[in-house]
Amino acid sequence: MPSTLPEELRRIVGPTHVLTGVECSPYAVEGRAPEAVVFPGSQDEVAAAVALAAERGLPVTPWGGGTKMWVGAPPSRIGLVLATRRLDRILEHEPGDLTVTVEAGLTFDRLQAELGKRGQWLSLDPPASDRATIGGILASDASGPRRHLYGTARDLVIGLTVIGADGRAVRGGGKVVKNVAGYDLPKLYVGSFGTLGILVEVTFKLRPRADVDRLVVARFDRLADAGRAARAVLGSDLIPSALELADGEALRRLGLGGGAGLLVGLDGIAPQVEWQVNELARLLGSCGLVEQRVLDGPAREETWRALAALGRPGGDAVAAVMRWALLPTQTAELMEAGAGVARRHGLEAAMTAHAGVGIVTAVLSGGADPGPVAAALEEWRRLVTGASGHAMVAWAPLAVKERVPVWDTPGPTLRLMRSIKERLDPHGILNPGRFVGGI
Amino acid sequence: MPPLTDARKKSLRREMEALLGKGGVLSDPDELMVYESDGLTLFRALADFVVFPRSAEDVSALVKLANREGIPFVARGAGTGLSGGCLPSEGGLVISLMRMNRVLDVDYDNQIAVVEPGLVNLHLSWAVGPQGFYYAPDPSSQQACTIGGNIANNSGGPHTLKYGVTTNHVLGLEVVLPDGELLWLGGKTRDPQGYDLVGLFVGSEGTFGIATKIVVRILKKPQAVKTVLAVFDQVDHASEAVSSIIARGLVPAAMEMIDQLTIEAVEDAFGCGYPRDAAAALLIELDGLAAGMDAQAERVVQACRDCGARDVREARDEAERALLWKGRKSAFGAYGRVSPAYMVMDGVIPRTKLPYVLGRVNAIAAAHGLRVGNVFHAGDGNLHPNILYDPRKPGEEARVVAAGAEILKVCAEVGGSISGEHGIGLEKADYMPFIFSEADLACMKMVKDAFNPAGNCNPGKIFPSNKACVEVGPAYRRHPIEEKGLAQRF
Repeated sequence: MPSTLPEELRRIVGPTHVLTGVECSPYAVEGRAPEAVVFPGSQDEVAAAVALAAERGLPVTPWGGGTKMWVGAPPSRIGLVLATRRLDRILEHEPGDLTVTVEAGLTFDRLQAELGKRGQWLSLDPPASDRATIGGILASDASGPRRHLYGTARDLVIGLTVIGADGRAVRGGGKVVKNVAGYDLPKLYVGSFGTLGILVEVTFKLRPRADVDRLVVARFDRLADAGRAARAVLGSDLIPSALELADGEALRRLGLGGGAGLLVGLDGIAPQVEWQVNELARLLGSCGLVEQRVLDGPAREETWRALAALGRPGGDAVAAVMRWALLPTQTAELMEAGAGVARRHGLEAAMTAHAGVGIVTAVLSGGADPGPVAAALEEWRRLVTGASGHAMVAWAPLAVKERVPVWDTPGPTLRLMRSIKERLDPHGILNPGRFVGGI
Repeated sequence: MPPLTDARKKSLRREMEALLGKGGVLSDPDELMVYESDGLTLFRALADFVVFPRSAEDVSALVKLANREGIPFVARGAGTGLSGGCLPSEGGLVISLMRMNRVLDVDYDNQIAVVEPGLVNLHLSWAVGPQGFYYAPDPSSQQACTIGGNIANNSGGPHTLKYGVTTNHVLGLEVVLPDGELLWLGGKTRDPQGYDLVGLFVGSEGTFGIATKIVVRILKKPQAVKTVLAVFDQVDHASEAVSSIIARGLVPAAMEMIDQLTIEAVEDAFGCGYPRDAAAALLIELDGLAAGMDAQAERVVQACRDCGARDVREARDEAERALLWKGRKSAFGAYGRVSPAYMVMDGVIPRTKLPYVLGRVNAIAAAHGLRVGNVFHAGDGNLHPNILYDPRKPGEEARVVAAGAEILKVCAEVGGSISGEHGIGLEKADYMPFIFSEADLACMKMVKDAFNPAGNCNPGKIFPSNKACVEVGPAYRRHPIEEKGLAQRF
């Protein structure tokens, strides 16, 4: 008698690491429950599970901490959810080399805590870091305010291993920080949302922890002033680790007052930070600064956490979240225009931006009716693409996603992307339908 | 590919001259010889034509022509590469980008610049210098190498520990794909939707197409710079000092190490004041805010002393700083004093493995009857063993190549890589299996096929293949004008 999928999976990972039937419901993706959920305990088990799925033509959806499963177009098919949480070891940490190699199911905060014991850190600050896994962070290219100075996952990954659609392991990059042997495959897998391979192992380059870390919250009456202030900081000798713009609604939700805000991260040794705090006050004074506060310790951490949580679905009656990519000089103006669009549709918007790299997080709230929400998102997309930027729906309920595409209409690069996808996943089993262009 | 007939060559020449102008096409063997190798003169291959487009449209037309004629093509910048990457190893077209060398636009507010591929790397920093900016990736050949070449090789330089490599500074590329299609990958904004085609293209060694415009980040020049020279009696101590500096929370802009043989050569040639009997010298550069710079320099000095440095010197002014750097920068030139020729190797290792690897490198060289001077980008583990030899001695060159392969095997053994900066090109294609499995290489080939199913864009590079049309060695051969007594080689 032919064996069932769960039987085959249990043969690979053992009886207690497979979920079926109603137990799968916590692992539904955009409302669709998988046939089975499997929890491999090793790279080989991941490979075997994928090979099995490939054999049966079953789609595979990787699942790390589950903190980004709502990102992307709704899946065209769902079959097996492959959860990586048991692959959670730190394999190598070489403090003298500033490198670490970990399994992809390790949660970010746990990794950071270990690295902190040796005075080092992975210079990323993604949201939901207590639950997000390394693999998921990379697959979704998640980042936070500190990308301003330290870059994103693509700048920090030096090697990785994926299990491909055929169940074979592929290694890209290496374990050294400078490496130009062969193609830069890590760049391909980062941000690929599990559509080309399942990450199982990653090597990062690290940084020593700074002695001192401060957050300066600068308040202005108007967003235009805060925008001018951001530009002044960018043109100065200051070297902030983070530079965040926040509009009035965002500031209010952060409990920081009203008007508009510039949140500046400063780190380094004490004399550097001291000089920068003073220099910042001097610079912002001529930009209409209303008040400047310096936060340290728990107050600092709480503020960064609250900022990251602004766009969380379910929080503050969030109706939808969009992420825009613009030129830094365009951010304040478009944030203001975007807020106006929301108001015209009877909704509210809270806007924040990584001011130095031009990435805006636009949070829509104040109404659950998909009609006006979709209309606002579409107008936002026109606004942003009209300014030569691009816009992505980071989160929206299904009813809204049915009306508004998650991704912009792809251009001529789609042909290349499809070509890569077709070769690496010829049967289209890896997270199908969620990515750009329906990939 | 069957060789082009004279008639076909004539007709193609006319067609390309109509596109590029009379001076835009070379096809005489004497002219072609200038382009038969890059900085690694060990390998030579003659193109059928060398052509000089002036625009992206020209490049697209040339690539379409090559496809139509079934001939391969390869892009070339300044030809300073050190792995044979821009050799026309199967004949065909060499498409030189040297006439596309302009800075097209600089946006200081958004800190980006758009440039053409033939622009010399240093010229970009010069162009934005007056406004207080610079372009960070600065390979040692930056006075000659081009941005396009930097894209192909994902070039580095001494400052990569703090500032990364080329790929960390590129936001967008206009490219001509291998079938001639002209399109943009990425652009001026971050996080383009979809796969990171820009990241894939950088470092693809000219096998994915030809970049015709590049959007790069420019950075504000640091407020202050400080340089410290530390001299050690043992390589281990120098290596520990590097780790100690990092353990004290510092990320220097550069950390360069040179070994005893190199120090001797430098002192013979230039007398920079490095002690001749020191086992290693470590040059450390800090940059950033002026505030706190002295405190950071003090930490560096302390770290070196704690690790047994015989002498630690801090440059007190710009002139002293230049002098300390002169020792490091003249290393390669200095080898010319102690040897008729040398071959530069390029490998990467975890920093902490340096003492072991250096021991093995020296032993391998000795076993082949050769001497070696080592320059080490201590910040990022990139090792350049420079094998000294005499090209006039029969068989010597072959022993150098053999020693090079063994050295790269050691790099692979200790968890490193076979190329830190120079790329795989022609030179190291056969060594890829040292660090990559069959599955890894198969995946890379699939990606290459996605970009270039016809296999005509810089063929014969990166992956092991037969080098039928490539002449190997000797690295030095008298040029016809030397034979005629019209020129002398120094």
